[in-house]
Amino acid sequence: MANTSRLYLTCIRNTLEAAMCLQNFPCQEVERHNKPEVELKTSPELLLNPVLICRNEAEKCLIDSSINSLRISLKVKQADELENILTKKFLRFLSMRAEAFQVLRRKPVQGYDISFLVTNYHCEEMQKHKLIDFIVQFMEDIDKEISELKLSVNTRGRLVATEFLKQFI
Amino acid sequence: MACFERASPALKEILLKIYRAERPAEFDHQMHEFGSVQYHVKCSASDPHQTYLSISMPLLSQGLQFTTRLPNHTLDMVKGICPDVVEIIEPPKDGYQLTLRLNFARIPHGKVSTKIITEISSVQAVILSSQLKEMLRNVDSQEISQGMYKAIKLIYHPGEPFYVIKQPAKITAVFPMRFKENTDVIIATAFFQELVVVGSTGACAKAPHCIWSPIPPPELRGEPIEDLSTNGGFVSFDITSRHVEGKKLDKTVWNLLNFYTFVKYHVKSTRGFIHRRMRMRLGNLIEILQNAGIEEEQIKTKVQGFKYVRKLARFSKPKIVKRRCNFSKKLKRIRSRLKIHGYKLISYLLSSYYVTSQATY
Repeated sequence: MANTSRLYLTCIRNTLEAAMCLQNFPCQEVERHNKPEVELKTSPELLLNPVLICRNEAEKCLIDSSINSLRISLKVKQADELENILTKKFLRFLSMRAEAFQVLRRKPVQGYDISFLVTNYHCEEMQKHKLIDFIVQFMEDIDKEISELKLSVNTRGRLVATEFLKQFI
Repeated sequence: MACFERASPALKEILLKIYRAERPAEFDHQMHEFGSVQYHVKCSASDPHQTYLSISMPLLSQGLQFTTRLPNHTLDMVKGICPDVVEIIEPPKDGYQLTLRLNFARIPHGKVSTKIITEISSVQAVILSSQLKEMLRNVDSQEISQGMYKAIKLIYHPGEPFYVIKQPAKITAVFPMRFKENTDVIIATAFFQELVVVGSTGACAKAPHCIWSPIPPPELRGEPIEDLSTNGGFVSFDITSRHVEGKKLDKTVWNLLNFYTFVKYHVKSTRGFIHRRMRMRLGNLIEILQNAGIEEEQIKTKVQGFKYVRKLARFSKPKIVKRRCNFSKKLKRIRSRLKIHGYKLISYLLSSYYVTSQATY
């Protein structure tokens, strides 16, 4: 399980290293505007082919690239209903605080749980390899956090149930 | 939490205030509590030691309907609360089911007084639990009485009925669970599954056998559909004679009456716990990203050497490039500063003059 995860993350890292070659490119349609082309999609010549990396049916990563911006959308694995609500709650919590993350999108792309938008300005302010490290680390941390949360909720439930039933004894 | 305590906190506070009052004063106070309970406390200055407490509340089996008089077994249980201090007045005050006369002069001073007043304040819990106690007392009865196997609907909180079914050698209490949000349903379902697992382990083997099912149990066949439509399933407890011996009867009854509140409190606490963990994790994740942008600080701590080099190295990569561009622009400006018309020709002539003069010498 750990091996497949390692391969999946390595594939994403290599793809990001290749895709994160961004440069400043003012908007071709509106004067003095500078917009992330990957979001607008008005000029097909500025867009690269999207890359979809799937670990399995439930886990995948979509990387949309353009001349001045890159969008990374993630679908996190959710084994049961409890993981489903924990993932939704946690990722929504992070998305609402997107300004703290700078590269996080407030709303995920349809069909995915969370999305990042990296522009050429981010690449100028931050180091490219560290940005990629952050995204890969983020994916690992999300999985780990969801598993820990689920375990904690079940442990709490078990302790509370024990205390409740002990009152009858 | 107030709803887990038997004593009404508001009533306790009022009775303590009257008991500890330095001067006799007129006191006439009406209040309402959750579960449609009404209290009326009256005390006159002419007779400061006598306080009248009237209570009105729906009984468990009648839902929100109010009866004029309490059953005899309930009155017997109320009489058992501090018989020296409490006296039942017949008939009760208009609009109330029970009126008690409290003689504060008979309450001894000290810490005992608080204990006695706390017991008096729990009269509502005594009345509510009396009905269920009466049912559970005869749990071991093998007689097939009228009403056996038929579900009896009890309402402790409006909108949250539960059922008690008498069977040979046991009584089953069935709780239909309903929640407003899907998140609550999932957290509660996880809790119920743990309840079933823990109930079958060695530590809690003596506790009532617990079952959770998403569909109504067969014992509730024939009940109205609106009572059986739930989103949290049905939790059943099998109460046997072991759980109602002596002092355990009181605990068992109180735990069953407060099961809904207990579950809702657990769900609320779990949501708060999840939120706290998310906040903590947010801080950790942001820290990782901030390290991606922190270059100046790292270079500042690592680089040592000549002052000018240190100053230069303190700048980040884009700043260094910018400085170079500015510097090259400056150089260009310096070189082109003295650009005047004909300068090139003059400089050429001058240079050629110097060359020829050098050649002469």
